Amino acid sequence: MNVRIEKVGKEGEELVLIRCREVTDEVREIESFVKSRQGSISGTSDEGRHEIAVTDICYIESVDGKTFLYTGDRVYETAYRIYELEELLRQKHFLRISKPMLVNLMKIESIKPAMSGRFTAVLTSGEKIIISRNYVKALKEALKG
Amino acid sequence: MEFKRFIINKLILFFMLSTLIAVAVSLTGSAFDPDGKLGYGAFLVPIEYAALCLLPTLVTYSKRELPPRALLVRKLIMLILLEGVMLFIAFTSSVIDTSRADVVLVIAGSVLVIFVLANLFTWLKDSAEAKKLNRDLENFRRLHK
Repeated sequence: MNVRIEKVGKEGEELVLIRCREVTDEVREIESFVKSRQGSISGTSDEGRHEIAVTDICYIESVDGKTFLYTGDRVYETAYRIYELEELLRQKHFLRISKPMLVNLMKIESIKPAMSGRFTAVLTSGEKIIISRNYVKALKEALKG
Repeated sequence: MEFKRFIINKLILFFMLSTLIAVAVSLTGSAFDPDGKLGYGAFLVPIEYAALCLLPTLVTYSKRELPPRALLVRKLIMLILLEGVMLFIAFTSSVIDTSRADVVLVIAGSVLVIFVLANLFTWLKDSAEAKKLNRDLENFRRLHK
């Protein structure tokens, strides 16, 4: 697949166009990556494919090799790996809080102590997730900016 | 990294236990044998007991992040093992008069009190840390809204 970049003037519309013979998984992956850079991530649910706004995601969890996006009332599966999302969403206030989990810092309502140096993050959706003690230092640094 | 952190936490607990056991031995000794004379070896007793008490705490180690309920169960198993270790020490010691029920009860009670205090101190430390995290979280949200 050739890649061509064209500059447009200030008046021109910025556009990523993928010309392909068939919409393969690879094409979907590229589409998904471009959308994630713009603030949405592709995910699937029983109802089909969706574009989920990054700001709507409360947390992301990896379970048995699959990655799930939680928006409070809905769960979507995504093709991304957790480490890829960690990298992609670093600038969007997402932070790893345990080995299989990323949280949207803007969706944390409060933090409470859990046992043995761990903390519980109470999300705006009412859900509670564990902040592993190994990631508390990173959380402190992220919150201080 | 996880195991290294676990060992560091155990070392912190070891020093905390040494101090609390020294206090417990001093108080129970004053109550049951106020005129007793001890040799230099007595200084090592709290350290030995703390080291022995540390062994049951290994049951709380897990590579995966344990859910709060599972951790609570493991802590309760740890308490039972701790009681077992301390009573084993008492019954095999020639100095401790285990024929007296009150002595045995005080030993078992001391273990329980130390266990509760050690967890309470950790909880208080974590609570103070959670308060600071919540303040930082509030500032973070205000700055990035």
